[in-house]
Parts: sequence; C-alpha cells; structure tokens
Amino acid sequence: MSDARVQGYAKALFEVARAEGTLDEVEDELFRFARSYESSDELRTALSDEGIPAAKRQAIIEDLLGGKATPTTIQLVSMVVGSGRTRDLPAIIDKLVARASSSKNLAVAEVRSAVPLTDDQQARLKAALANATGSDVNLKVVVDPSIIGGIVATVGDTVIDGSVRTRVDQLKSRL
Amino acid sequence: MNQLAFGLIAADDIDPARSPHWLLPEDAELIFGTISSILVFAVLYKFGWPLFKKALAARTESIQSAMDESETKLADAQTEAAEIRSAAGDIDAERQRLFAEADTEAESILAEGRARLDEEIVELREAAESDIALIGSRASGEIRGEISTLSRRAVDRALAGGMLDDAMQQELIESFISKVGAS
Repeated sequence: MSDARVQGYAKALFEVARAEGTLDEVEDELFRFARSYESSDELRTALSDEGIPAAKRQAIIEDLLGGKATPTTIQLVSMVVGSGRTRDLPAIIDKLVARASSSKNLAVAEVRSAVPLTDDQQARLKAALANATGSDVNLKVVVDPSIIGGIVATVGDTVIDGSVRTRVDQLKSRL
Repeated sequence: MNQLAFGLIAADDIDPARSPHWLLPEDAELIFGTISSILVFAVLYKFGWPLFKKALAARTESIQSAMDESETKLADAQTEAAEIRSAAGDIDAERQRLFAEADTEAESILAEGRARLDEEIVELREAAESDIALIGSRASGEIRGEISTLSRRAVDRALAGGMLDDAMQQELIESFISKVGAS
C-alpha cells in the first residue's frame, strides 16, 4: 500500500476519533491492538486471509475487542479489515498515533518491557525520556516477554536499549 | 860358406862341456842369429806390421765409434732425463693445481652444503613454528568454540528456566529509568 493511502486511512481514523472525543483512548487501544497483531501469527493469519469473508473477520474483531475497547476502536478496526487493508493496519495505526501525538506536540515513545510497568514507573519513564530527548513524549508501553528483562525505548530514530535480550545477544556474539 | 863349414867342423872339435863365454855365444852363432833375427823382423815388418796396424786402426775406430755412440746415448739420456724432470715438474705442478682445485671445490661444496643445511634448518624451524602456531591456533579456536557453545547453552538454559525474578525485573526497569533520566 502506498504511503499516501496509509496516510489517508490514518487521517480518516484520526478525524473520526477526534470527532468522537475519544482520541486518547482510541489511539492507545489501537496502538495496543497493532502490537498484538504484529506479535500474533494466528491473529495476523486470521484477519488477513482473503479466503475468509470480511464479515466473518469483522466478527472476529468484535469478539476479540468487545468489552475491552471502546466502540469507536472496534468500528475503526472493523472498517480497515472490511476494506481489505488488514496487512497495513499496523502502519495505519502508527501513522494515526504519530498524527495524534504531533497534534499535541508530543513525540511518540514506544516502550517495550518484559513485564507491565506501574503508573509511577510510566510517569517517571516519561519524564526521563522527555529529559533525554528534549521533548515531551506520548508514552506507548508494550509488554514484550521476548526481551527477557529491562526496557527498550524508541523515540523517533533514537533507540535506547536496556533489554536483557540485547545483552544476552551481545554476550553470545562475543562468546 | 867355408867359414860356416869350418865352424861346424871346428865345433865338432870343441868340447861341449867347455864354452868360450858363459853368456855370449860364439861369433858365428851371433852373426847367424843376428841375421836370422833381422830377416824375421824384416818379414814381420813387411807382412805383419800392416796387418797389425790395420787391426789397431780398426780397433781404434771401433772404440771411437763405441765412445761416440756412448756420448750420443749419454746426450739422449740426459735429454730424456731433462724431459722426464720437466715432465715430472709439470706433473707436480698439475698435481698441485689439481689439489688446489679440489680443495677449492671441496670448500665450495662444503660452504654450499652448510648454507643449504642452514636454509633447510631455518625452513624446517619456520615450518615447525608455523605448524605449532597453527595447531595452537586451531586448538585455541576449538576450545573457544567449545566454550562458546557451552556458554550459549548455559545462557539458553538459564533463560529457559526463568532467570529473572520479579525483583530483578523491577531493578532492571528502575535502573533503565535512572540511566535515561540522568543522560
């Protein structure tokens, strides 16, 4: 899918969420869904299989997110899946998050942690990243057990890697 | 003739036991003897002397010829001796030259042999050192590989067994926040 089309979908979703007045929630829920979609082969296969009717794939979305996300989030994801752009869903959502953050003069900080962060930790980490990058950040936390321990923070092109996985890989490489 | 006859007759009358002189003969005997001797010498001179002279000359010539031949042979022998001495001198010089050449060649061969041996020793030593280094490197590489493999397995086992507890997870997170905030 072309970048312009991705931008177009992201803009549409952004406008809908803002019009609904649930931009922050929708943005956060979509971000989490995108990360889940990327990390789950089963979910990716089910939603992107053109052999499965769009209605059935939309029903899967409603089953997955029903009760866990706002109706706006569910409707937006269903719309993208129904239009046959499931494979571009993570890119569209990332653009949406970037646009939302940009509208608030924030930089998107994607933080991967092996275990969930407490609110206090998130607040301190947000402040620390703002201090390190020189701009306020929109913190997006993803629980990713594959990093084993520690945190990996990505702000724009800057990656701050404090994960155990990377250290283990470096150790293995040196060994 | 008469005198002779007389003498013979008179001699018959003489006592044989008596002689006119104990050393000298009778005159007649002396005369006849002298004449006979002269005749004999004349005949000898007439016929024998030329033969003797001729034989003497032949003998002289033979001896002279022998002496000349001897001198010639002596000269030849001396010449041959000189040639032999010269040849002996040449042989000696040739022998000395050959000895000198042999010595030079032997020294050259010896020097070449030593140089070749030195080169071979150096090459063998270098090859041995290279082999030793290679073997050492290989052994070191194998040991490193083995250590690496075992270490990776140890790390994987530790990770598979849940290496990090909750406290350690929190410590890592707090450490990360502190480091990022301090930067």
